[in-house]
Amino acid sequence: MMSENDNSQYLQDLYPFLHNKSKDPEQDEIGLLESVKQKSIASIDTKRVFFADNAQALVNAARAIATVYKNTGRMYAMGNGGSSCDAAHFCVEFQHPVTAGRPALAAMNLLADAAMNSAVSNDVGFQHIFVRQLNAHAQQGDGLVGFSTSGCSDNLMAAYATAKEMDLVTLGFAGGDGGEMKSSGLVDHCLVVDSDSIHRIQETHVACYHIIWDLVHTLLADSRGPVSKENQTGSTL
Amino acid sequence: MKFVDEFRDTEKAKSLTKAIHQIALNLAPNLTKPLQIMEFCGGHTHTIFRYGIEQMLPDNIEMVHGPGCPVCVLPMGRVDDCVALAEQPDVIFTTFGDAMRVPGSKKSLLQAKADGADIRMTYSPMDALNIARNNPDKEVIFFGLGFETTMPSSAFTVLQAERENISNFSLFCNHITTVPTIKAVLDSPDMQLDGFLAPGHVAMVTGERPFDFIALDYHKPIVITGFEPLDILHSLWMVLQQIEQGRSVVENQYTRIVQPNGNTPALEAISQVFEIREFFEWRGLGSIDHSGVRMKASYAAYDAEKKFAVPNLKIADPKSCQCGEVVKGVIKPWDCKIFGTKCNPENPMGALMVSSEGACAAYYNNGYHEKETA
Repeated sequence: MMSENDNSQYLQDLYPFLHNKSKDPEQDEIGLLESVKQKSIASIDTKRVFFADNAQALVNAARAIATVYKNTGRMYAMGNGGSSCDAAHFCVEFQHPVTAGRPALAAMNLLADAAMNSAVSNDVGFQHIFVRQLNAHAQQGDGLVGFSTSGCSDNLMAAYATAKEMDLVTLGFAGGDGGEMKSSGLVDHCLVVDSDSIHRIQETHVACYHIIWDLVHTLLADSRGPVSKENQTGSTL
Repeated sequence: MKFVDEFRDTEKAKSLTKAIHQIALNLAPNLTKPLQIMEFCGGHTHTIFRYGIEQMLPDNIEMVHGPGCPVCVLPMGRVDDCVALAEQPDVIFTTFGDAMRVPGSKKSLLQAKADGADIRMTYSPMDALNIARNNPDKEVIFFGLGFETTMPSSAFTVLQAERENISNFSLFCNHITTVPTIKAVLDSPDMQLDGFLAPGHVAMVTGERPFDFIALDYHKPIVITGFEPLDILHSLWMVLQQIEQGRSVVENQYTRIVQPNGNTPALEAISQVFEIREFFEWRGLGSIDHSGVRMKASYAAYDAEKKFAVPNLKIADPKSCQCGEVVKGVIKPWDCKIFGTKCNPENPMGALMVSSEGACAAYYNNGYHEKETA
């Protein structure tokens, strides 16, 4: 039994969770709705600013990827954590086009092979996981794209260095000030989302590679398979 | 000096250090990793580095420096809110001095002062109230910042303003609480802590009981600790004794200050003026449920968030900062990618570099720039 001056009531007010008091649902709802409002506005604003400032850079990046494919090259994608999901997503977009009439294009997610990645991590070090696969698969004229919200992931930077030695086209999606991806000179096309929020950066990256994927196919349209003579003269439909 | 010198006695420190080493030796055969003891409070971190305590400890005992520096954990958006309030016309914005340098997304309060805002450093919220008395044509806002330790003085000041009917004073309440944050650290999936030194000055207000759950539910020893070097060594010895004996209870080393039930008038004032926020954003740790307070609706007339248009922006921590990992003990400050380079006391990027009581600032200022120098 508590004594009268043990301050129980005051402590319950200050630390409700210690006394099995649940949150006030009404206040909680107000806070949650406000959070949705602020974060959605921030997300929209981040994208608006990025695309206003980087439209030409996106077109340039799309041209570089289109050139890789015109020369029958392939793309390699890499990232860590949530950014590795973006790398996987990027590859799926190119391999499995959802718009009718667009060809499947070769793109390889460098984090997809668990056996390979755990072997290199265990035997050599995590910073080498992408390098080894580039050594094994990549050819001159292929492209390498990396996703890093800080722009400073060691394993990405090691892969970019290897990619430059192998004469690959390099692209990067970064955040903040772009980090080493921006400053190293190893990334030919570095798209930097000027935000410190991992979430806002990654949301913008998704929109960015969706647009680039679209641009690449537009740029490749002229080099798709030949149209037969009959079709060029027009059908009777 | 009474109550100071006797807690800095060299011979007693040697004796306690020897006892700590002996327990560490006894425990060594059963340890698979070093014991990690978190001192939650930035004041403790400061003492540990000022007196070189970490270097006196055995290799199998590591101090983990917790998030108990309210200046450090203040989110960037809140600093922006302060600047926005301070730059309003006819406002005198008052604050404790250590909040002046905390970086916002665009500028600190110090930079805002340089730009012309009327920002004044005070030693107490009562000083701010005095400024309000002497400047009836101005709105005086006090930046209420700190844990349970400083909450009572903010609450008493609001109550005093109400008693005197001083209508040009208001509080921008950013007070936060330690206990939910310790729980958040304990609930973290990568938590590796073996015991705690509890913040003595928080316990002075709250008493011992809010820390019971740490021992009862998480089975971690915890000792309420004073701020002199012998207090730290004595408390560490007490924690290690609990570990050796397989106990986990709340013990009070700081008995000269902390009463078991805390300070009733202080808790009463807190309860009268403040209520719990459903969640509060911490720099480095993110949003933690029930970890901050706001002013009750009945004191809206003294609530700067109600009186003024506060932008209330959410600004994310810099991506490259690893303050969260440091405060959970997963990495040491020197393991952070930007420690000592992009992030330093002159240009702090992470929470723990902002105040001298932050772990990263303590490491940097005391020359522990990389592992080999420690």
